[in-house]
Amino acid sequence: MIMRQGQQLLLPANPFFIWVTLLGAFMLSMLQNIGFWGRAAWVPDLLALVLVFWSVHQPLRVGIGAAFVLGLCMDVHQGGLLGANAMAYTVLSFFAITIHRRLLWFSVPSQALQVLPLFVASLLIGLGAKMLAGGTFPGWSMMLAPVLQAALWPLASVILLVPQRRAPDPDLNRPL
Amino acid sequence: MPLGTLDRTPPPFFRQGPSALSKLTVCTALALFLMVADTRFGVTQPLRAVIADFLYPVQWLVLQPVNWVRGSAVYFQSLQSASAGAEQMRITMAQQSLKANQVDQLMLENTRLRQLLELRARINASTRAAQILYDAADPFSRKVIIDRGQVHGIVAGSPVIDGYGVLGQVTRVFGAISEVTLITDGDQAIPVLNTRTGVRGVAFGDLSNPVGGMELRFTPADTDVQAGDVLSTSGVDGVYPAGLAVARVDKVERRSESVFARIALSPLAQVRGTMHVMVLQPVGSQIEARPVEPSATSVPAAAPSTPKR
Repeated sequence: MIMRQGQQLLLPANPFFIWVTLLGAFMLSMLQNIGFWGRAAWVPDLLALVLVFWSVHQPLRVGIGAAFVLGLCMDVHQGGLLGANAMAYTVLSFFAITIHRRLLWFSVPSQALQVLPLFVASLLIGLGAKMLAGGTFPGWSMMLAPVLQAALWPLASVILLVPQRRAPDPDLNRPL
Repeated sequence: MPLGTLDRTPPPFFRQGPSALSKLTVCTALALFLMVADTRFGVTQPLRAVIADFLYPVQWLVLQPVNWVRGSAVYFQSLQSASAGAEQMRITMAQQSLKANQVDQLMLENTRLRQLLELRARINASTRAAQILYDAADPFSRKVIIDRGQVHGIVAGSPVIDGYGVLGQVTRVFGAISEVTLITDGDQAIPVLNTRTGVRGVAFGDLSNPVGGMELRFTPADTDVQAGDVLSTSGVDGVYPAGLAVARVDKVERRSESVFARIALSPLAQVRGTMHVMVLQPVGSQIEARPVEPSATSVPAAAPSTPKR
């Protein structure tokens, strides 16, 4: 495998951790809805963010099928059109897998800029499907959601890679 | 997929699985099928109910800290504001008890008059109290989730009211929760009656109003409607009991190019802030079945007997 210059050697990802973070992102999305902002349209979709992250970093573990199932769960939780989020997440995951070899060669802020079009595309798919099915237009504040998701990408790449950045041989000086 | 790390097994040579593009095609087609089935045929409710039952424990878990925070916010409220609130409640209750006595009197009178005139008795809907848990997250519709479901005997289609008027209608029932579509949702329609003039109409949720208003559609421009008129349910739909307050007329706009007036309403129920609601039984379930027309029953009974003759 060709490695880019200065790349840190990472421990293999724990599949259990991947699924826990996906579930955690889903629960955080629910918490944003239930506890804070109700049905506001600008709220960043954390599940989409984590899904893209793992589709880029571990495309063999998290793929299109998982994205579809998570999208269905999101649809049922939101109480909207069944299949709209599933389609948006499917497309999101597909494009994430398409760019996964290339994306990690860039610096993290540049990566954030490159995943922004993905989030916008997924938003437009959801918008198109729901407007065709006769929904109410929620206002232009919804265009803020993909920007916020892309802005959270650097944070996600720090938090979600922490277990893989641990020392392979922990000792007294490096307990983790 | 085994739970070991992938890096320790050589990649498969032959069975590489379907390509990403074919997976995308299949999943997108499936999603499209689900969307069409959901909007056009309405056959996806069982699938939705199954997924919702799986999601309920997760939702419940997320709801707990929210409930604690809400509960503690109430707990640390100052004594003064609590007693002021209680005082206000007592005043309201006194006013309402006066009204309730009058209503009792009127009901009695009404019953006697109806007996006198041999009219059919008014329908009284049985009620069930519920609490709103949260707004449904979908920003394209206006729905809320309440904490009563199939196990509590809620049926789809039941009207939901709060202390001020009609709030909406139960549209989906799951195991322990159900989904209420608010009257401000663009797809929700409710037959109403102008309490001042007695003119009937249909009020819809307003699509263009982001805050959540309503409009009275298909009202001819020369109809007598004024700002400030109160609309109540007319009871002709077999769902809502008659006489529940729905909305107040905000603005009447008569334009020369249209035969219909543009009438903006504001709902009387607190569609944005209420916590406790009542779920009524749909009126249609209490009305006696329509009497079968004699010709309809006699024809099939007579038909087999005719060849014997």
